[in-house]
Amino acid sequence: MSIGNPDMILDFAVRLDGVSLRYDSSEEILSGIDLNLKPGSFTCLTGPSGAGKTSLLKLLYLALPPTRGEVSLFGRRTHDLSRNALSNMRRRIGVVFQEFRLLNHLTAYENAALPLRVAGQKEMDYRPDVEELLRWVGLGGRLDARPEQLSGGEQQRVAIARALVNKPDLLIADEPTGNVDPEMGERLMRLFIELNRRLGTTVMIATHDLTLIRKVEAPVLRLQHGLLVRDVEFGGNAA
Amino acid sequence: MSQETPLLPERDTREAALFFVVCALCFLAALAALSARATYDAAAGWTAEVQGQITVRLVDADRRAADEARDLIAAVPGVTGARVMAHEEIEALLEPSFGAGGLPAGLPMPLILAVEADPALENLAPDLQRRLTEAGIDSRVDAHETWAGDVRRALGVVRLVALSTVVLLGATAVAVIAFATHAALLARRDIVDVLHLSGATDRFISRLFERRFWVLGLKAGSVGALFALAAVALAMSMASAGSGRSGLLPRLSLDPTDLLILIATPILAALAARIAARITVIRSLKGAF
Ligand SMILES: Nc1ncnc2c1ncn2[C@@H]1O[C@H](COP(=O)(O)OP(=O)(O)O)[C@@H](O)[C@H]1O
Ligand SMILES: [Mg+2]
Repeated sequence: MSIGNPDMILDFAVRLDGVSLRYDSSEEILSGIDLNLKPGSFTCLTGPSGAGKTSLLKLLYLALPPTRGEVSLFGRRTHDLSRNALSNMRRRIGVVFQEFRLLNHLTAYENAALPLRVAGQKEMDYRPDVEELLRWVGLGGRLDARPEQLSGGEQQRVAIARALVNKPDLLIADEPTGNVDPEMGERLMRLFIELNRRLGTTVMIATHDLTLIRKVEAPVLRLQHGLLVRDVEFGGNAA
Repeated sequence: MSQETPLLPERDTREAALFFVVCALCFLAALAALSARATYDAAAGWTAEVQGQITVRLVDADRRAADEARDLIAAVPGVTGARVMAHEEIEALLEPSFGAGGLPAGLPMPLILAVEADPALENLAPDLQRRLTEAGIDSRVDAHETWAGDVRRALGVVRLVALSTVVLLGATAVAVIAFATHAALLARRDIVDVLHLSGATDRFISRLFERRFWVLGLKAGSVGALFALAAVALAMSMASAGSGRSGLLPRLSLDPTDLLILIATPILAALAARIAARITVIRSLKGAF
C-alpha cells in the first residue's frame, strides 16, 4: 500500500517490513513480519512462551538489527542511520525489560533517573520529577534502596519508572506485570493507558496475562510459529 | 546524597592485580629512564676530565732524549704544559697490573710525557706524532680523548638499551590496559548494554572507562615512580657508603631532569591508560548494533 512512497512511513511510530530474525544459525524466530503502529496507538502482543515476543520487542527498541527486512521508527528507516542517530532514537524509546535490568550498585532513584543522566541532564533539574514519578508508582519511601533490597514487584516498578522518566514517544514493556499482584498489575496497566491517552505515547506491551488483556480495550497481536496474527478473540477496537 | 554514584561500580577486585602490574611497569620504566638520563651525565663528566690530556710514550729513550722531546712538544702551539712523568707516578699507574711490590727489576721502564693542551684544539695528537717522528724520536702519542670516545660509545649503547626499555615498557602498559579494558567491558556488559539501550553514545560509555583507567594509571604510576625514587636513593646511599670511587658507574644523583621523569611517569601512564581504554571501548562498541 505504500510502494515507492517514502513519505508514507511518517504515518507510523513503528513499521516493520518483511522482518525476519534468526539467532546465529538457529531456525528463524520471526518470519516475514509486517507491522504498523500508528503514533498514539496502544497494542498488546501475546503468544506462548518462546514464541518470540521478546525478540520482536528487541527489534523495536533497537537492541538487534533484523536478519532480513526493514525496521522504521518515527518515520525513519533505521538500517542506514549512524550510531549517534541510533542513540538519539533510543532516547525516544522507554523500555521495561522482562528481567528489569536495573543496575545493582545504583539506588532506586538513580536507576529511574538513568536515561536523563545518559541524555546529559543535570541532577538538580530532574530530581523533583524523578521523585514524583517514583511516588506515583508507590516507591516514594524507597528512593535510596538498592535493587537487592527491593522485592520483585518493587524492582519492576523502578524499571517502569525508568522507562517513563524521559516521557518517551514509544513505550515498550515486556511482561511488565509479571511480578506484581493483580491489583498492582491493574494499576500499572492504567498508568500505561493514562500515559498513552494524555501524552500520546505509542505503547506496545507484551504479556501472556489474558485477564489483563481483557481489561484493555486495545488491539491484540499474537505471535505464533514466527508469524504475527491479529487476535480475533481479544481484538477490541481493531484499527 | 548530593554525590552521584559512578555508573561503573567503584570497587573492583580485579583491578588490584592490574594496579600492581601498571605500578611495576611504571617503576621499571622510571628506572630505565633515569638510567638513560644518567648516561648523559657520566659521558659529560668523563669527557671533561680527559679532554686535552695526551700521553706520549717514548720508546728506547734516555732521560736526555726525553727532555728533548718535552721541549719540542712544549713549543707546539696549543700545548699548555708538558712534563716527564716521575718513576713513582708510572709505578702507581701500573700498580693495578703488577701489584704494590713495584715492577720486576729487569723490566725496562718506559719514559712517559704527560701533556696538557687546549681542549678546544682538535687533531693535536696526530700533529705531535708527526713532529716527533720528523725529529727522529720514536714515540707513541695517545690522546685520552680517543678512548674517552670508546667510553662514550659504550654509554651510548647503554642509553639506547635504556630508552628502548622505556618504549617497550610503555607499549606493554598500553597492551595490558587494553586487555584489562576488554575484560572490564565484558564484566560490565550488563551495565554497558543498559546504558546503550538508554541511548548512551559510544563516547559517553567510553568516557566512563577512560576516567576509570586514567585514575588507575595516575595512582599506579605515582606509586611506581615513588618506588623508583626510593630505589635510586638507596643506590646512591650505597654508592657513597662505598669507596667513593665509582669508576665508570654513571654518577647517581637527582637533578631537576630526574624529578621531571618521576613526575611525568604517572601522567604518561594515565594518558596511555586513557587512550588504550578509549580505543578498546570504541572499537568494541562499534562491533555491536
Ligand atoms: N540471544 C538468543 N540467542 C539464541 N536464541 C535465542 C536468544 N534469545 C531468544 N532465543 C530463542 O528465541 C526463541 C524466542 O524467544 P523469546 O523471544 O524470548 O520468546 P518469548 O519472549 O515469547 O518467550 C526461543 O526459542 C529462545 O530460545
Ligand atoms: Mg519474553
